[in-house]
Amino acid sequence: MADESKPFFPVESAHHVKPPPPRRAQSLTPESRFWRSFRHSVLASGLILPVTALEFSPVAPYHVAAACSAAVHLFDGAASPSLAPLPHSPLSGFSDVAYSPSFRCDGALLAAGGESGLVQVFRVDKAGPPLRRLRAHARPVRVVRYPRLADKIHLFSGGDDALLAYWDVPSEVQVVSFPGAHRDYIRAGSASPTNPEVFATGSYDHTVKLWDVRVTPGSNPFLGFSHGDPVESVLFLPSGGLLATAGGNVVKIWDIISGGKLIHTIESHNKTVTALCLGRIKNESPSHDGGEPRLLSVSIDGYMKSFDFATFKITHSMRYPAQLLSVGFSPSGNARVVGTSDGVIYMGMKKWKRQEEANGTNAASELDGFIPEPEKQVLRPTNYRYFHRGKSEKPQDTDYVIPRAAKVKLAEHDKLLKKFWHKEALVVALSKKSASSVVAVMEELVARKRLLKCVANLDVDELGLLLRFLHKNATTPRYARFLMGLTKKVLEMRADDVQSNNNLRIYVRNLKRMIAEEIQIQRSLQEIQGMISPLLVITGR
Amino acid sequence: MLFICFYICSHRNLRVGSTFVTMIPGGQSLVSSPPVFSHDGKKLLVCTGCTISIFSTSTGMKITELEGGHTDRVTSVVVVPVAVPSSKFISYCWTSSIDGTICYWDFSVPELIKKVKVQLPIHSMVIPNISCTPIGSSEKTYNLYAFISVEDLTISADENKAFRGQIQIYNLTKSQRVRGLLAETRKPQLLSVSKNGEFLGVTNKRKLDIWKIPSDDFRIDEIKKIKLHHTKKLTAFAFHPKLRMVAGGDVTGRILIWIGFGRRKFSGDSQATDKKMNLTDEEKPGVRNNDDADSCSTWHWHPSEIKFLSFSSDGAYLYSGGKEGVIVVWQVDTGKKKFKPRLGSPLLYFTESPDPSLSCVTCADNHIHLLKMPTMEITKSIAGIKLPFSYPVGHKGLCTQVAYDETAGLIAVLTEDYCVQFFSLFDNHEVSQVQVCKRNFQPVDDVTLYVALVSVSLDGSLMGTVDVKIPEDGLGGLVSLKFWKRGSRIAEYSLSTVVYEPHSDAEISSLAFRPGHCMATTSSFGGDFKVWIHNSDIKLNDQLHQRTGWRCQSVGSYKGRPMTAAAFSADGSVLAIGAECVVTLWDPDSNVLVAVIGDTHSPITSLSFIGNSEYLASLTGGSTPQLAVLSTSKLRLSWSYKLVAEALSSSRDTSQFAVLVLLNSQDEVDVKENGVILLFDVEDPVPVATWMVKKAKGGSLAFVPANPSFDEIKAIDGEKPSLLVYVNGDHEYIIFDPHNMDNRIGKSSQTSQIALEETGMFGYASIYGDLSNLNPKQDQVPEITFPPSERPWETIFNGSSHVLPPLTKLCSTFLASLIEKKPSMNER
Repeated sequence: MADESKPFFPVESAHHVKPPPPRRAQSLTPESRFWRSFRHSVLASGLILPVTALEFSPVAPYHVAAACSAAVHLFDGAASPSLAPLPHSPLSGFSDVAYSPSFRCDGALLAAGGESGLVQVFRVDKAGPPLRRLRAHARPVRVVRYPRLADKIHLFSGGDDALLAYWDVPSEVQVVSFPGAHRDYIRAGSASPTNPEVFATGSYDHTVKLWDVRVTPGSNPFLGFSHGDPVESVLFLPSGGLLATAGGNVVKIWDIISGGKLIHTIESHNKTVTALCLGRIKNESPSHDGGEPRLLSVSIDGYMKSFDFATFKITHSMRYPAQLLSVGFSPSGNARVVGTSDGVIYMGMKKWKRQEEANGTNAASELDGFIPEPEKQVLRPTNYRYFHRGKSEKPQDTDYVIPRAAKVKLAEHDKLLKKFWHKEALVVALSKKSASSVVAVMEELVARKRLLKCVANLDVDELGLLLRFLHKNATTPRYARFLMGLTKKVLEMRADDVQSNNNLRIYVRNLKRMIAEEIQIQRSLQEIQGMISPLLVITGR
Repeated sequence: MLFICFYICSHRNLRVGSTFVTMIPGGQSLVSSPPVFSHDGKKLLVCTGCTISIFSTSTGMKITELEGGHTDRVTSVVVVPVAVPSSKFISYCWTSSIDGTICYWDFSVPELIKKVKVQLPIHSMVIPNISCTPIGSSEKTYNLYAFISVEDLTISADENKAFRGQIQIYNLTKSQRVRGLLAETRKPQLLSVSKNGEFLGVTNKRKLDIWKIPSDDFRIDEIKKIKLHHTKKLTAFAFHPKLRMVAGGDVTGRILIWIGFGRRKFSGDSQATDKKMNLTDEEKPGVRNNDDADSCSTWHWHPSEIKFLSFSSDGAYLYSGGKEGVIVVWQVDTGKKKFKPRLGSPLLYFTESPDPSLSCVTCADNHIHLLKMPTMEITKSIAGIKLPFSYPVGHKGLCTQVAYDETAGLIAVLTEDYCVQFFSLFDNHEVSQVQVCKRNFQPVDDVTLYVALVSVSLDGSLMGTVDVKIPEDGLGGLVSLKFWKRGSRIAEYSLSTVVYEPHSDAEISSLAFRPGHCMATTSSFGGDFKVWIHNSDIKLNDQLHQRTGWRCQSVGSYKGRPMTAAAFSADGSVLAIGAECVVTLWDPDSNVLVAVIGDTHSPITSLSFIGNSEYLASLTGGSTPQLAVLSTSKLRLSWSYKLVAEALSSSRDTSQFAVLVLLNSQDEVDVKENGVILLFDVEDPVPVATWMVKKAKGGSLAFVPANPSFDEIKAIDGEKPSLLVYVNGDHEYIIFDPHNMDNRIGKSSQTSQIALEETGMFGYASIYGDLSNLNPKQDQVPEITFPPSERPWETIFNGSSHVLPPLTKLCSTFLASLIEKKPSMNER
């Protein structure tokens, strides 16, 4: 029910050229606001070799393990404001390049593979030699994964010799092994979040295979499908029913339950996608109401993209100045790390870290399921905030917002014109030094037939203002036609005042000089015209 | 030769059927007299010519029309109030007209019930005791007395001092005039009555005459009268709804408030008050001439004449308005003011509705705005066609302020507040308004900025306007040419290009679009014409886009003569420019002069190619007016008449054209401004048909194709009919078939726009719902109320079954409704 009476039109010069509308800043979606709220910094600048893998511990305080060169670096997730190396870091029991660190589900142990083909298990809390060494692979082991669910004694590993092994760690014995599990290097693997015995592997032979150690080796792999490109990363999505695979520059989402059906293909990267991980979008408040899960993917084109696999849309994308090889997102939701090929780990931290830790024990299960509702503090009249409650209430999605009518902002001269204070409007515009608004006011006064009366009523100071304005702008081509006539009129009308006042005489002298210059310019222009026009006539013939 | 004489106002005689009529009238004035709300505030009754149109206040659309009762302008409407909520559906009203009749209507059906003949033209009518006898009340009904202000036709208008106006009393129940005159005035005056029907008043030059109306005994000599004096001519006044207070407004914009008027004379014993009078004589501040009032105070805000005064229904506020187009809300107790500005036009009337949150204000530009009350926000506007305005003195060129979008059946009207109004001819309502100049409009006497020309291309996709700013003492004048592009919807235009001073400072005489091309031409009195073309999006480089817009393609002139008219031929291949006295033909693409025809004695004012023929018609004005038909193939004059022609229009696909001719020459001053429409075939100088019309000065003509949506009859013939539109000087128009006056053309059925069942409530009912009926007798007998429609059985069984009374009870009502006869039919 808009008011249909006429809007108020501010005065506008007829010759005023409107500037192009200012480019409107893209309004931030809540999602991009979330991703921008991380404070960025660079971690571990001492490294120079590629950071091939980054892994967050599943339990508080969410340590980070980074595989780089012949060591696994450990960073303290509790450190503030940024991650700091643990005192016993790095774990250096490797004879060659270390790969694929993996935390056990309780966060106490860390397993890692290596170029030498040896899988080693370390303590996380203190320095020391490896607790266990699992020897089976003849070639480098790029995939070592602990099961995600409460299974503390097994892990699986896959190597460049195409061997897939399922280990009983305490006894250093392979429970099951699949020699020739793939026809090329095994470079990716992921344990199912719902079942400790199920895991998926991806290989450079373009295939992704799913294994279940409970069934007979003959029926394994129980599922296999082709990604279409060498598979760089495989990740189970939280439900356990969906699997994301990265290879080439595409990420594909598969439905495992329906037998490996391709659901969606994300083609948002320009170069090979190197790693995937799960993230979670959270509200600003440090509450535990979950937040929507996101699939983060990084690529050597330097982009990290956030993908909403509920709506199958890219929701955010972020650029880094290097080739990205690995990515990790803290289960607490307040840290994000990205590893590059030149050894730099880029880190983003959020601020609410302290509170997060206090009730952070829930966070481990957060990715997988139920979180108890935190108790909301009830405001009492003893609290100061009680009396300010609801003041900054934001409308909810379901609320119908009635916008307050925007207040019309009027320039000073418009307000005066509205009151029919014509001379005052002219003086205000003259003192504001914007030529276009002065001309606009003058044109409006012409339309009201009040300009000459206004000029006649100006006192000496105001007349000085007007003469100065005319001196500056009378020869501007856009306004010249109008202002030259006005100058003439003003001088005719106020000749006596000009003669009696010294200051005004100076202004008029300036005006005279300016007009002499203008005449000079016009004359030279005419000369040029005289030279050119015969030429044009001749060429026209 | 067919010769039919008609007036715009009396065309109803020719009406045949309800949906097919020989003529479609339209563009009636909505503002000739104040509108009236129905008793529930859901409908607004507006006098439109000789009919009363009923608009819905919730949608602003026309619901129905009361027609057939009056043959001349309707001057006032009085709605009969309703007492009992059960009779909600009953809606009756009294109307009076210039034709000397008073009609009684049931406007829900709508149906004429009763007609009373007064013989004299009625200019105003009030029925003070109408609220005493509301419909549905069981009390004894009184006789209804109407006070009417009539014009005495026996005295001729030439006598200056004669009393031509009379105020008479009429007994409506018995259709009898009460003997005697209440008063005589120079001119028939507008009557006004207080809300409770106690007082009647009329402004009489510098006096205010107030009568106290007796409750039942209406004898002229017993009605008491007082006078309140002022020093200026009074123009408006209003009674306070509760107190003995009257407000009067004068020509200078002052508002006078008399408090406690008539305390001496109206309150019974005259002897007793005489004694009192002497005592209180000194204590009457501001009261002149020992008038019968306690005090008089003056408020002044309005700079010019006050057009209306109105108290709010609770009496706390006084609304006033006038030429400045601002409603001023005065707090009666304190005199504090609030304003509702920018209504865009002088105001005429202000009407309060029974619903306290709704009222309406009538503007002089033929608009009625419905206001949401405390905030005075415009909720809906009932828009009539805007009225013509007068050009300033220096204006040269054409005086027609209209253009036609023939394919869409729209008329584009230039308005005073720098707009172009698009008005649908067949539907008789406003389609849109395009603001041409972005300037705040103030109704003032001397025009300094006006829209001089408008032209719409044949398909309606392009529009061109020219607006002129008049220089002040040779300073700051500006002519700007604007090109507009139509948006997605009909008659929605967005600005495409502005050209400042297209012909340096010379005024533009005409603007024409080339059919089938994005090309336009403007001719100016400065001696040249320009051809404008539209740049489509041209990509020059990868980065540099040339902006789309209109630019000048070529300039032409002929011997330095002022170019006075321009027209494109129907196929767009020839451009004809009237160069003062001769017609020059140009090739618009190459800008080459092809031929020169004719030689008239005075400047050509208008040019038009005639349909698909090779002929060209030109009008010349000045001292030797002429209508000439020129042949472009033989390059010579074919035939001509010496006529003062106002407008020219040719039909697109035949070789016929129509000319609107003024009967008097330009020097004479004829009040009636009668004219003739002549329909010519191009080969034959004898007109095919002739029609007499009124108010031809400033009128215009156009051929429009019949509205395809209801073109049923013509589809059989196979040929596409074209109708002629005549718009008179007051922007009233009529559409008819020029070839066959008996042909019926479909009239768009306004009744299709009936508002849906309106079940809103207001006031107390909107907060707490309807009061339950506390009458115990009615509780025992469940009664079904239904509107007295022709098919009552439809309404009886309406509703859910658990609400309905048992069938045994319904049966008797149902049968009774079948045998019910309408008593109104007998009375008629």
